[in-house]
This record gives sequence, structure tokens and C-alpha cells, in this order.
Amino acid sequence: MRILAVAQNTFREAVRDKVLYVLLFFAASTILGSKALGWISIGQDVKIVKDISLAAVSIFGVLIAIFVGTSLVYKEIDKRTIYTIICRPMARWEFIAGKYLGMALLLAIVTAVMTLVTTGYVLSLGGSVDATFFQAVLLIYWELLLITALAVLMSSVTSPILGALIVFSAFVVGHATTILIDLPDHFKGTWTEFVLTCVYYVIPNLSNFNIRAEAANGVAVAPAYVLWAMAYGSVYTIMLLVLASLAFEDKDV
Amino acid sequence: MDAISTLELGKTYRSSLLRALPPSLDGLSLSVHENEVFGFLGRNGAGKTTTIKILCGLVRQTRGEAYVLGTSVRKRHARRHIGYLPENPYFYEYLTPRETLDFYGRLHGLGARERAVEWDKVSELLDLRDIASQRVREFSKGMRQRLGFAVALVGDPKVLILDEPMSGLDPLGRRSIRELILRMRDEKKTIFFSSHVLGDVEQICDRVGILVKGRLTSQGRIDELLGKQDNLVEVILTGLPAGVLSELEARALSARLSEAGHHLTFRDKQAANEAVRLALTQGGSLVEFTPLKESLEDHFVKAQEMIS
Repeated sequence: MRILAVAQNTFREAVRDKVLYVLLFFAASTILGSKALGWISIGQDVKIVKDISLAAVSIFGVLIAIFVGTSLVYKEIDKRTIYTIICRPMARWEFIAGKYLGMALLLAIVTAVMTLVTTGYVLSLGGSVDATFFQAVLLIYWELLLITALAVLMSSVTSPILGALIVFSAFVVGHATTILIDLPDHFKGTWTEFVLTCVYYVIPNLSNFNIRAEAANGVAVAPAYVLWAMAYGSVYTIMLLVLASLAFEDKDV
Repeated sequence: MDAISTLELGKTYRSSLLRALPPSLDGLSLSVHENEVFGFLGRNGAGKTTTIKILCGLVRQTRGEAYVLGTSVRKRHARRHIGYLPENPYFYEYLTPRETLDFYGRLHGLGARERAVEWDKVSELLDLRDIASQRVREFSKGMRQRLGFAVALVGDPKVLILDEPMSGLDPLGRRSIRELILRMRDEKKTIFFSSHVLGDVEQICDRVGILVKGRLTSQGRIDELLGKQDNLVEVILTGLPAGVLSELEARALSARLSEAGHHLTFRDKQAANEAVRLALTQGGSLVEFTPLKESLEDHFVKAQEMIS
């Protein structure tokens, strides 16, 4: 009940954020403009449109998660709206959970809208969308949920700017985790190798959520893989939300 | 059982570099009885808001303990009894008063029917019906304060904690808040409010506590606190022969001359009576006989000086 009240309010507040509409505009422009690249590769235009559109859903979804998510808790403290909320008989983790759920709902709608635009565009070009396309969207959303959990954690411990930088870095590194262990020989046995190996095991491998190439090429992906990737993301998401709740538990506001 | 009690409560904030700052609150022990209006006085930065934030669960104390109706403020259940009005309350700008109260009702765990009843009751009390569909962003300071009071009353809490409730309000606004506080006392609630405006406190408080630099220097009924001081008496006399005047000036704590006559201040009523008797027998006249009661302001200033 309390969590839902906070979630509903977070959603209402987020849909008033101008950043959301700016990013949605760019996302729609990218999706609709993807045909331009399709012309370069003759006969491949639908495939290119799907590929670029799914990338746009992912990138702009992540940008929304970062820009809106990293200020979620911080803004409540900064604007002092949190005073009259935390003084209610509610646990602080309920507040964090509510903020997260509100954001998850917003991203679900944003992802659904971008997917609808892509689907309509692909169909209008004479192409078709299959199950793998929607599996790819589902995994993109699951990745957004993980990124949002990290953004909420950052929002409860640091400023939006620093939080956004950290989350964006984690997103970039998370998509290229192999570079952390495929080191040149002169790093072998050094502290650098040890630290980077630790980072490799701590940072989620976000490539696990990337089946965009399969979706663009119409290659089937086993449902078991999708479920595994979702479980993998859920473990990280829950851990990050627990950390956010712990960080917020004793925070003076 | 006290409505609010604190025991050696202390709070030391840390700077961003984790360096400890001077304590904001230093061993605060106070008790607020049930169904009383308690004024928590102190200058800006004395630790009033820190105390209030600890009571409301916004800030964790670094030592000591605080209880609301016998429950430690560390437990969230304690907050079920509290209605809190922060200084300059902020609410979601895009909500209307009705939506705002509904939101806080949900946070308080009230069902839909209870929230509807709550709106009827509180909106009438705070005169919110005319502005029920206006967005908070269009509100004046006084309207926000009224809404803040309404939010504090959601869930019918037994203890109201108000941080500078009259700050920034015009005389009518201050009066309406004072009347609300007294009305809440009539409804058997306990009201704990901070202020640095002594006039407001003197008018409505049953008891006060004075906080100076994070330490409580005194607490009790206003008349008790002021009664602990000597009650000086000022008399104004005229027509005094020179010898008698010098005799009385020697007995008085202070003496000055004005158009009204000779103002002589004596340490108590008995000394003043003796002086008047002497003056009258020697041909003098009594113009005025005024017991000088120490004001709350005098007491407050003394408390500051004592710690300084």
C-alpha cells in the first residue's frame, strides 16, 4: 500500500520531467531515421531498421534511467518533500522500493511506446517482427531495471551528476567486461590484473541482455536463455536495491 | 507516561570529509507531558530542528534515547503517533490539497473510506475546501502552512510536532495557527512546537524548554521559570525632601528621575513597602507602585548569556 503510493507518485512526477520528452523525441527520431542507413545496405533495410531501433530503445532507455533515476531520492531530499514522508510509520526500504517501482513502471511504458513505434515502422516497411524481437525488447527492459537499481543506489548516496557518471561508466564497462580480463601479457601477476579481475566479477555482464543481432536477423533464441538472463539480472537488481536500502537506512535527511 | 521524553540525547553531524563537527545537540534530557502545549525555544542553530528531526525519524541520534508515548523513536511504530509540520513545508507542487492528503493517508496506512472521512474532517478544520482543486504550486505561504498543518493531522496523531509553525506568516496567519494549536489541545493532543518568537510562546504554551547551543538550560511552566527570579518592584515618588531621597536612593537597587517623579527599584515588595511608608510619613507622594515581573524575553536572554 505505502510502496504503491510512493510508486504512483514517483511515476506522476517522472512523467512531468522534461528530460523524458527530450530523450523520447531523440529516440523516435533515431528509430524513424534508421531507414537512412538502410538505404546504404541494399535489401537489408528492414534488418538495419530493427537493429538500430532496438539499439535506440536500449540507449535512450538507459539515458532515461540515468537522468531520471539518479535524481529520484536526491531530489526528494533537496526539495525537502521527504520530510513529511519519512516521518510516517513507513520503513525506509519501502520508500526506496516505491521510488524504484515508480521508475520501473515509467520505463515499462517508455519501452512499450518505443517498441510500438518500431513495430509499426517495420510493418509499414513491409517487414515483420517475430518472437525473438520481443525477447530482445524484454531483455533490454530487464537491463534497464538493473541500471535503474544502480541509479537509485547512487541517488541515495551521491549527487545526480556524480551518480549519472558512475552509472553511465558501469553501463559502458558492463557491455565490454571481457576487456577487463583479456589483458596484455605485461599485466600478468600485477595488482592491476587483480583489481580488474575483481571489477570483472563485480560488474554485471550486460552483454548477456543483448540479443539484438539475433532479433534483427530473425535467429531464434532459446526461451531458457532468456529466462537465465532475466534471473541473472534479477539477482543483481535485488542486490543493488538492498544496498540502496541499507545506504538510506541511517542517512540523515 | 510522557508524550515525549529524551534522555541525554546527542547529535554530532559529520562533514563531507567525515570530520566530526561540534555537537548540534549535547545531552538533551526533556519531558513533555501529555495534553500540554510545550514551547521549545532557542536561537537559530540552537538544535531545535535537529531535536525535532530525531523525534520524527529523519535524523539518527549519535547518543542518548528519545521516546514518543513510551516508544523509542528508533522504532517506526513510534511515528504512528506523530503528526509533523516541518519549517516551510514542501509538498509535491503538481498535487491538489485533496490529492496531497490522500497520498499521506495512504502512507499512514489508511484505507480509501478512512481517507475520505479524513479529508472531510481536516479540510473543514483547515478551511481547505475552497482551494481543494488548486495545485500546490499556486499556493501562498499561508496556504502552504495550512496544508502542512492538515497533513500533520492525517491519521489523527496524539502528538503534534511543529517546527516554527508561525515563521513567515502575517499576523492573521499567526493567529489562526495559534488558535489551531489551542484547539488541538482541547482535543486532548500534545503539541510540541519550536519557535524563536517569544510572544507566540508566552501566549499559548503551558510549559517551555530553552535550548542554548545544543543544551537545555531550563524547562518548566513559564510562571515557575520566571518566578524563580527575584520579583523587583519599581515605585515612583514625588515631593521627597532631599534627605529622604538620598536615604531611599541608598536602599534602592537603581534610581532615576523622570517627569513623573523619582523611579526607585527595590529588590522585593517588602523593601518597596518600607520605602513608600518612609516617603509618605516625610511628606512625599506615591505616583506608582509596579511589581517588575521578569519577562520570558529577559529569561531567554539570561539563558543565552549564562552559556556564553
